[in-house]
Amino acid sequence: MARAAAPRTFSDAKATYQTNSELAWWVFMRVSGFLLVFLTFGHLWANNMAFNAGEIDFDYVASRLAQPSVKVYDSFLLLFALLHGVNGLRYSIEDYIQRPQRRVAAKVALFTVAGIVFVLGVMALWTFSFTEMGDAVRALEP
Amino acid sequence: MYRGREGQWAFVLHRMSGVALALFLLLHVIDISLVMWGPDGPFNAFLAFYHQWPFRVGLIVVIAGVVYHALNGLRIIMMDFTEWGVRYQAALWYGVLGLTTLIGIPVLWKIVPEILGIA
Repeated sequence: MARAAAPRTFSDAKATYQTNSELAWWVFMRVSGFLLVFLTFGHLWANNMAFNAGEIDFDYVASRLAQPSVKVYDSFLLLFALLHGVNGLRYSIEDYIQRPQRRVAAKVALFTVAGIVFVLGVMALWTFSFTEMGDAVRALEP
Repeated sequence: MYRGREGQWAFVLHRMSGVALALFLLLHVIDISLVMWGPDGPFNAFLAFYHQWPFRVGLIVVIAGVVYHALNGLRIIMMDFTEWGVRYQAALWYGVLGLTTLIGIPVLWKIVPEILGIA
């Protein structure tokens, strides 16, 4: 199904999309997009402006991920950015890949990669217990 | 609104930055997840690789993409949820470009000297 021109208002969107799930994704892109403005700007501020990104190494990342607030913040960032980004890529696939078989193949590949990346991200954020990470960071001090 | 005018360029840039940022995000989560292998794992070697200047310049492009995509996203939200948004969409787009440039100044001021090694 070729998608019509992007709907411009909520009632437009309701008329354009034949399924409730597409309408829900339309709303989700706007709500998550709004939240992501603040989440990504904060992330960029912490790692590129308040710190020299060229000096980021294991110790820096470990000391950040040892903080519960960073774990929670980055978890929301991971969840919203992945859903927002993968759904945006899905829109692009539907816009530019015409042949049904290729379209399905592209989506299967996208969702597989996204699933793996999500699991990797969650593991990196949450595998280590707070105490374990705390001990690791304290052990770094001379 | 389209036909090669502001709205179309806003869309093209939004689509290109969006696809690029989504692909960057996938790569970024994978490389940061290498912390799981600990301080003696592959993490530091990978990061050292990314600290080479072409990648740091690339990171500035990523930041520019984030700022444009975020601000133009707010423009889209205004177009969708206010009754004046569509009327002023062209002016809003110039605002997006202006604000992106404005935010770029302190970012370049901070990061370029780091890349040149004179920070």
